[in-house]
Amino acid sequence: MDMLRITGLKKRFGDKEVLRGLELSVPEHSIFGLIGRNGAGKTTTMKTVLGLLKADAGEIAVAGEKVSYGQTGTNRHIGYLPDVPEFYPCMNAPEYLAFCGEITGMSRSDIRARGDELLKLVGLEGEKHRIRGFSRGMKQRLGIAQALLNRPKLLICDEPTSALDPVGRRELLEILKAARGETTVIFSTHILADVERICTDVAFLENGKAELQGPLEDIRARYRRDEYLLEVENEADLPRLLQAFPALEPAGENLLRLRGKEQAVFEVLGFVTERRIPLLKMERTEPTLETLFMEVVGK
Amino acid sequence: MRAFLACIRKEGLELLRSGRLLILLLIFVFLGILSPATAKITPWLLETMADSLAGSGITVHAVNITALDSWMQFFKNIPLGLIAFILLESGIFTGEYQSGTLILSLTKGLDRRTVLLSKAVMLCALWTLCYWLCFGITYAYSAIYWDNAVARHLLLSAVCWWLFGLWVTALTVFFSAVAKNGTAVLAGTGVCVLVSVMLGMLPKLKAYLPSFLTDGYSLVSGFAAPREFLPAALITLALGILALAFSFPVFSKRQL
Repeated sequence: MDMLRITGLKKRFGDKEVLRGLELSVPEHSIFGLIGRNGAGKTTTMKTVLGLLKADAGEIAVAGEKVSYGQTGTNRHIGYLPDVPEFYPCMNAPEYLAFCGEITGMSRSDIRARGDELLKLVGLEGEKHRIRGFSRGMKQRLGIAQALLNRPKLLICDEPTSALDPVGRRELLEILKAARGETTVIFSTHILADVERICTDVAFLENGKAELQGPLEDIRARYRRDEYLLEVENEADLPRLLQAFPALEPAGENLLRLRGKEQAVFEVLGFVTERRIPLLKMERTEPTLETLFMEVVGK
Repeated sequence: MRAFLACIRKEGLELLRSGRLLILLLIFVFLGILSPATAKITPWLLETMADSLAGSGITVHAVNITALDSWMQFFKNIPLGLIAFILLESGIFTGEYQSGTLILSLTKGLDRRTVLLSKAVMLCALWTLCYWLCFGITYAYSAIYWDNAVARHLLLSAVCWWLFGLWVTALTVFFSAVAKNGTAVLAGTGVCVLVSVMLGMLPKLKAYLPSFLTDGYSLVSGFAAPREFLPAALITLALGILALAFSFPVFSKRQL
């Protein structure tokens, strides 16, 4: 079942057409990475899903329920973490979570228990200072706590790691990864390493459309080529290899790239074994998200 | 209902912790004291100025101060209170649009109507508290120093001014639903009040306009009868309700 389904979504701001018939399916319990350049329409897509922006055309369904602009009914299924979450500065973290729990209709005992559990999870337990004095990282951690408070079916994160330091980034990604058991996570980013680290599914947004989408492993398999990387210990061995195998080409310091089927690999390995050429590594190259993304955006 | 009460509590907490409540209470307490105090020191002021005024050919006779003078000052001072109230509260919606705090609440499924209603109720309650506190202080001091019995229809005249304040509050809510920043809210509200005052210069229209309700001194001094205020009161009430009613669809369709 798809937790989020977007069909034919269009959105224009003045002359600029940001979304041009976007089609997107986010499977239940996936961690879905929405990848795109700045201005590709990631935030617009998310705000439209949240009913905060009016779509010019198209339909959105969250947990099978249609999203209507200005109505907040479907948002009871959603937890949202913006890139820069803003809270009421006069409150402290437990007060803010209590407010969120009240407006989502949670019971008082559940608010207390769940609030304590989440504050501990994000490392804000016992934090009684007002939010006014919180650092960006603390706000982001409180943001994830409020987003998970009512055990949402869909957790939407808009570039959640873009402003965090490496430690904060790793912690947040771990929290999102752990949340997968309870919820479906969709997060937009242009940090491809984050996507490779935790995502099960991805979509590349380009020109207002999802140019490529699906399970990350399937996409990798689709774009996987018969390409191998060979690293020799001594630079002096490179000319011998290049001469013997026209399919080999230089790929950096002591590195050679081999494009061909497995038979070619066996032949090269036989050659180096016979001549006792020391090898450091021989591996099949996997297409990285970066290379896939560059291919999709045509760079 | 729980969401509404949570929003009311949140508004109250913000009002209290931001210091806005304290500032407003201090202003209205000051204005409440200022009115009888001004009336009380008027004879002394005139006496000290008598010599210099005599030089200009103006003779100052003994002045008999009554509670009416205190109420005259009250009706002159209370507009300052209303201006301070609107200035301090004009950002109650737009502050949330600009900071983005409202987005997180709405994405938790909070109904937009609940947000608007809680803020409108909070503003009306706050105006009511501040206004009647000011009135109560003036009433108490006027009763101590003079006799409030000379002021006719005192409660009615106070209710009229309170109603005018509620209308201005409703306008603030409406323009907050429409506008993006506090300046635009102030401008919209100010223009509406100004239009009412300008139209009030036309004798035929005067008695049907919200601004007519601010002429409380005519009522307490006996220059006007209570029934003359009825059309303006009903129209003001209707306009206030209309402003609030129109705020809901505008706020619901607002892009955030």
